[in-house]
Amino acid sequence: MSNLVRSELLKIRTTSTWWWLAIGALLSIGMAFPFNAWMFDSAVGGGGDEFGVTGDAASAPAQAANLYTSGQYLGLLFVMLIGILMVTNEFFHQTATTTFLATPRRTAVIVSKLIAASLLGFAFWLVTTVIDLAGGAIFLALNDYGTQLGEWDVQRALLLNLMAYAIWTVLGVGIGTLITNQLGAVITASVLYLIGTQVVGLLFFALASWLDNMAVLKWQVIWPAAASQIMITPGENEMLPAWWVGALVLIGYALVSGIVGVLLTRRRDIS
Amino acid sequence: MSDGQPRPTNDAQIVVTGLSKQYRNVRAVNNLSFTVEPGRVTGFLGPNGAGKTTTLRMLLNLVTPTTGQATIGGRRYPDLADPLRHVGAVLEASSAHKGRTGINHLRVICAAAGLPRQRADEALAMVGLTPAAKRKFKGYSLGMKQRLGIAAAMLGDPRVLILDEPANGLDPEGIRWMRGFLKGLAAEGRTVLVSSHLLSEMQLLADDVVIIAAGQLVRQGPVDQVIGSMAQGVRVRVRTPQAEALTRALADGPGTVETDEQGILLIAGVDAPTVGRAALAAGVELHELTTERPDLERVFLELTAGKAGIR
Repeated sequence: MSNLVRSELLKIRTTSTWWWLAIGALLSIGMAFPFNAWMFDSAVGGGGDEFGVTGDAASAPAQAANLYTSGQYLGLLFVMLIGILMVTNEFFHQTATTTFLATPRRTAVIVSKLIAASLLGFAFWLVTTVIDLAGGAIFLALNDYGTQLGEWDVQRALLLNLMAYAIWTVLGVGIGTLITNQLGAVITASVLYLIGTQVVGLLFFALASWLDNMAVLKWQVIWPAAASQIMITPGENEMLPAWWVGALVLIGYALVSGIVGVLLTRRRDIS
Repeated sequence: MSDGQPRPTNDAQIVVTGLSKQYRNVRAVNNLSFTVEPGRVTGFLGPNGAGKTTTLRMLLNLVTPTTGQATIGGRRYPDLADPLRHVGAVLEASSAHKGRTGINHLRVICAAAGLPRQRADEALAMVGLTPAAKRKFKGYSLGMKQRLGIAAAMLGDPRVLILDEPANGLDPEGIRWMRGFLKGLAAEGRTVLVSSHLLSEMQLLADDVVIIAAGQLVRQGPVDQVIGSMAQGVRVRVRTPQAEALTRALADGPGTVETDEQGILLIAGVDAPTVGRAALAAGVELHELTTERPDLERVFLELTAGKAGIR
């Protein structure tokens, strides 16, 4: 199995795809960090009312948590794309034949892709988090807030984002096995992740108004991207379920897509 | 080339038994059985769409058979302990990531199969691709892609080689290289199974042939035997302005004379010197006198007549 994981990591290292995705992840930090720093300044300075950031959410720890995870909303998209490409590349470039000749045990191939994807997700999380930590600590120290790293809110946000990275890469591999068409899989997953959340939020809001029952809003957690947001959002309110519900839903999706992916791949004719 | 381990003699024999593959509307392969022996080059022939590729893919566990089974050395492909050390396969030319270099393509396979990394360099040298090792696959010519595919197949120094249309896209020099390479492998005692529809090439390369059409076995055996089994044997081809005179001169002998649409005589049952002597005795002027042997192409076309085409 370790041979297979090594082979999967070598596949990624020997093409330029991961570079482009890494650049994307760094660019999203570059865009999100200044914005989040400005948010921190406004909210903690008492001007959060203007954009609806009040109470706990406007506290220094909550805003520091947001700052320390800058760019990781889009970062998750990029690690998911890596997971997808790890599978769809095999069909797009017709290397599935070579891969399954070297290892006819297809379950082992998919499992090693899942492991390699998780390792990569971890690496992406680590690098972006280190950058955010360095930038954030400097910004906070310069503005006399201290680093806030002792706060549980901050630590929690970092750890939950780590979990999100692991789950989304696995989900990416799963999606790739379900939709082997490269372009189809990438577009579907991006739309589901980026646009889906807003649309689903609106749909559930409409449904909740129609049923005159705000508790219905909590059900948007069944949407993977919404579950991910809920998981990493601190605090519980009448609009959203607890973070662990989001985590369970997301893990459920990762498991189901992974298992269905293995079963489909075992049966598929490679031609 | 071999690792010195004693092996049972049949460990490189390919046995296909009652193999069938039903796709939605078409039975691509229908109850196909044949064997492929070690130490020989076996040509796997059939018209386009005969089911050659599907059969090879079933042999390698890439396509699941509807019924029947295929074994290599008595075992199904997925049951081989170290498949790449046992079997090497070249299935299609374009099977590497376009953005990956040739050497890295081979290293990825080495890693997956647990082969030492330097096998990648050795295999690349074996097919003469070392100068292009660090070039990306998308910059390879069709012939270079075929060579890379062969290098990939040779990574594990396998006893059995399976190649699907390896001559496609090769220039004459490349085809000659391939012929020598495959004959050399068979001479070392390996099993070489090559599918092709280039019949003249196969006649030069193959010791045995397996001919299929419409998913079914048509004929299997050594090339000479398959050719010899055909009704039409050796014929003498004669061009002459005095066809009638020559036909009369030969009428007493054992030969039978046919005239084709261009007025050329095709004489069976006698050899060329006999025909020449008869012509001289009868004072018949000859413009051409050649011996025509049936070749693989003629035999193939005769055997698969009416079975080719789109299904």
